[in-house]
Amino acid sequence: MSKTETKKENALPTVKIYIMGSAHEVPESLTIMKAMEYAGFKIKRGAGCRAGFCGACGTVYRKAGDYRLYAALACQTQVEDGMVLTQLPFIPAPKGIYDIDTLQPTESSILRYYPEVARCLSCNACSKVCPQDIQVMDFVQYSLQGQIDKAAEVSFDCVQCGLCAIRCPAEIPQYHVGMLARRLHGKYNTSTPETLLERVEEIENGTFEQGFEELLSLSKDGLKKRYTERDFVDQKKA
Amino acid sequence: MVQYSYFPGCNLKTNAKGFEETAIAVSKKLNVELVEIPNWNCCGTVHTMTSDNIMKRIAPVRVLSRSKKHIETLEESPNQVVTLCSMCNSTLKIVSKEVSDNQDTLDKINYQLEDDELTYENDIEVKHFLEILRDSVGYEGISKKVVKPLKGLKVSPYYGCMLLHPEEAKIDDEEMPDVLESLVESLGAELVMSPLFKYCCGSYHIVDQENIVSSQVEKIVEAATRRGANALVVACPLCSYNIDQQQKAMAKESAGFKPIPIFYFTQLMALAMGEPVKINHFKEHFINPEPLLKELGLIGRKKTK
Repeated sequence: MSKTETKKENALPTVKIYIMGSAHEVPESLTIMKAMEYAGFKIKRGAGCRAGFCGACGTVYRKAGDYRLYAALACQTQVEDGMVLTQLPFIPAPKGIYDIDTLQPTESSILRYYPEVARCLSCNACSKVCPQDIQVMDFVQYSLQGQIDKAAEVSFDCVQCGLCAIRCPAEIPQYHVGMLARRLHGKYNTSTPETLLERVEEIENGTFEQGFEELLSLSKDGLKKRYTERDFVDQKKA
Repeated sequence: MVQYSYFPGCNLKTNAKGFEETAIAVSKKLNVELVEIPNWNCCGTVHTMTSDNIMKRIAPVRVLSRSKKHIETLEESPNQVVTLCSMCNSTLKIVSKEVSDNQDTLDKINYQLEDDELTYENDIEVKHFLEILRDSVGYEGISKKVVKPLKGLKVSPYYGCMLLHPEEAKIDDEEMPDVLESLVESLGAELVMSPLFKYCCGSYHIVDQENIVSSQVEKIVEAATRRGANALVVACPLCSYNIDQQQKAMAKESAGFKPIPIFYFTQLMALAMGEPVKINHFKEHFINPEPLLKELGLIGRKKTK
């Protein structure tokens, strides 16, 4: 009957967590993501890099005896006893479709695709929920002020998990706004690095085609061998 | 150098760059340097100002708190946050008064600001830059810095609504203001009084009822030009936008209509104090003031060519 009496042989200290309301006993050292898998969930949508970079595993939770709603990336956060959680692997938020070449790095570009930015109440709920500790409200405000360079800089660490958007009383999709600001900044305020131009030219000249053909011609075992024996030393320079 | 914590507001970074750049330049010249708050948010004027909607008061109170923190990093800074935009000035003053009169409202707002360590203690005064010029610098101090009196410029002050209303936000007498008048005279320009100095510019109707704005603007400009004005001086980016942009449209429609350029008061100061013309951003004006200024010999008559 008791669902939680699993893995009795496991000597590791455990904690009790509640995944979408149902109790699970899990080793206390696990991350939320591993704990969910330990409890038998097969995560398809809410996992990606498992290293805190892709933003696919946004999770909201409360702790025992604490009224606050917390948010985190499931792959980066350890479970705690009494945690009540659910994953939010996808956030429905309007996403502007634009041709970056036709825009200008100004507030009007931002407002054209995300007019709700003007509704920002400066409550800062977005910054409080951000698992990357970004000052989300500040970059939203910089966007509104046409300070696109600052907006791009402040939003730089965004992993697009979208948790800010679910907390916003003004219903702003902050993470999409930050992306547009960074694209505008990259396109119009910064110069194209020379190394990038060189690399694009190399690609266009077919410099790497032979290497790719060689890899594509390998068998699965051949690929495995190449992968395990790989090193990162530039053979030409070595 | 006395440094003031300066709150720009969004327009100063977008539609009114010439206002901001000239203000900062003259503030340094007058020893009352405007130093921008590093991370500021909207003053809150775009939200409804209904007094029972406390959530919409978070933005202005956050501005006051951030300014307070900023002041701690400045030199000889009085406990004042300085604005250039009349609307920011009005919003911040109204809310500042409201929370100082109503502890309960402030407590509720502070509860939202606690986590950011930005609770507000009612310890900041909101000032418009015109008040600093009048009360801290003085017109004489301004006159002393004039190197190029604005001879030939016949300027009519236009206050709009926000500088003089409501009671808790006004910077001067609502019926007989004289701050812009005295400033204009201290710069060596000719003062032209107009009875429509605070006739509404049409304000936010520009968004969807442009005809209301154009009829207001026509009267405002006509009242000034009839009395001989060849320029208007303003302090509000929205008034400026409405009058400037509508004049251009009207000039296009009727050949008889003669538009006149709009200046922010700080642009006139910068011109009179010999600051570089570039910081005025005249190219962004709908009615370019440069032809008039050239005609009067106030710019572009350098003999160094």
